[in-house]
Amino acid sequence: MIYNLAQIIQYAAERAPKKQAFRCIDEFIAYGDLEKKSNQLAQYFIRAGVKKGDRIGIYMNRCLETTVAVYGILKAGAAYIPLDPFIPISRILFMVEDCEMEHLVTTPAQNRKIKNIATEAPSIKSVVGTSEDVGATSISWDSIFALSLENYKPVWILEQDLAFILYTSGSTGTPKGVMHTHQSGLALARLAADLYNFGPDDRVGNFAPLHFDPSTFGYFSAPLSLSTTIIIPDAHLKFPASLSALVEKEKITIWYSVPLMLIQTLLKGNIENHDFSSLRWVLFIGEVFITKHLRALMEKWPQATFSNLYGPVEVIACTYYHLNMPPKTDDPIPIGKVWGNTECKIINSCGIEVQRGEIGELVVRTATMMKGYWKNRELTEKSLYKEKIAEGYEHVFYKTGDLAQENEAGDYLFHGRNDRQVKVRGYRLELDEIELTFLKHEEVKEVAVVVVERDTGVKELIAVVRPMDGSKIDAASMMTFCKPYLPAYAIPETIKFREDFPRTGSGKISRTEITKMLLAKEI
Amino acid sequence: MIAKIANYIKQEIANEPLDNLGEQEDLLGSGIIDSMGMIRLISYLEQEFQVTIPAEDMVVENFMTLAHILEFLSKKKGEQ
Repeated sequence: MIYNLAQIIQYAAERAPKKQAFRCIDEFIAYGDLEKKSNQLAQYFIRAGVKKGDRIGIYMNRCLETTVAVYGILKAGAAYIPLDPFIPISRILFMVEDCEMEHLVTTPAQNRKIKNIATEAPSIKSVVGTSEDVGATSISWDSIFALSLENYKPVWILEQDLAFILYTSGSTGTPKGVMHTHQSGLALARLAADLYNFGPDDRVGNFAPLHFDPSTFGYFSAPLSLSTTIIIPDAHLKFPASLSALVEKEKITIWYSVPLMLIQTLLKGNIENHDFSSLRWVLFIGEVFITKHLRALMEKWPQATFSNLYGPVEVIACTYYHLNMPPKTDDPIPIGKVWGNTECKIINSCGIEVQRGEIGELVVRTATMMKGYWKNRELTEKSLYKEKIAEGYEHVFYKTGDLAQENEAGDYLFHGRNDRQVKVRGYRLELDEIELTFLKHEEVKEVAVVVVERDTGVKELIAVVRPMDGSKIDAASMMTFCKPYLPAYAIPETIKFREDFPRTGSGKISRTEITKMLLAKEI
Repeated sequence: MIAKIANYIKQEIANEPLDNLGEQEDLLGSGIIDSMGMIRLISYLEQEFQVTIPAEDMVVENFMTLAHILEFLSKKKGEQ
């Protein structure tokens, strides 16, 4: 019986040791090989003194070794923490410290940056995946794969043990770590594999980086079903035509990405000259897919069923909406119905369930629910909605902070965020956090950061700055100032300057008015 | 030419401060250039070296490393 994520590979290796588990460009790893190599990595960590519940960072771009890293860390009884190599090192250092990481797993491609991290973070004792001198003990992949498994004793892992922590933007200006257990991860893997009928003939395109929760489909659901996962390399995501060629060459059957990747493929992917007939499912999550683009793409790929998934990282996914035919109107498509083992409610600001058809906050109770926020019990409690059934027994829901409405067909419609957390190009951003960064600059008096959606459907992140009197700051120097604090995707593409802002009655900056003015090109 | 491009990447695009940038270094996979950076790099190359880069040339093989960019540019120059 499989009850933890590590067993997925163990069972797959017993049933199909030669079958390709993961592919990346021209390399692959078979299930038998992945089982052995992840055991070797686990053996290294066990000998290094790693204990149940320890946190180990994965600092890697998209590559084949991520698979050994994920399963090796899980098999050692530890939780893996994906660290995005594309974000500023100061943010990585925060996560390393927050999780008290002692070990990191990396690849030689990250040598340059891993050295800075290992030197600046005193807690790091060892770095796996490089032979360079990084200021901590380093051990190459070759040395790991040479380790003997003769005295290897697998760690006894329970489903309630911590499996991974995914960091996401926090409204206080610091990232928060969302904890998932083997139980919530495995529940996700099973629900997704069941809903989309993953099987041994499937070739699952994994577009998401490890730190982005949709990667759970490629890393867990696919091996659970003995499918082959195709890890899409970072390089191909920057060149739509190369991506199309890769999808054709790899004969991908299940595509799962943010809408942006699909829109780029549609508009710039040289789509007419590639064969996409292998696709049977096209899944997307993360933000609203602009309906006109969705329709155009569905017309190009008539054999595929499209499915809109919805779910914040705290529950990974919870609702879905299948489309067999291109939508007839430009109305936004629903986020649909709850999938298995899940219940949703819509509540008003008083915490009372609304009448059908009314808009309110969506709350979710599900098997894929997070354990909580890492080292932040207060925030965890604040994020929960508890329905008392009897003394000492309650139903616990996660408050998504998303506004939703149930239509007559029983499908949920998405109505945006009820706070200032937004999604731009698939990335979750806290506008308040970006503003706080701007305000660190001594010549910034006030700032408003807003997302403007023009007719083209493209969302643009814009900052409007009110500078100190006599200040000479300009957009370029502001961007440079933000670089050490924010990931590149959170730095506004456009920065404008104004002597004053439109205000609300109480004197607050009116961001709604600013957005209107930007749309009307009055700023 | 190569020093010029390397400088532009270091000063304008790189996500982190870079001391040196090798000709064979993976620009796309290792986190040196992100998607936005790539768009800026392409328009820089078009302006600076007086070439037009059509959609069909925007593929991984032409932009993976400095060496690839150099080879691609000289091929383009030859065509014009």
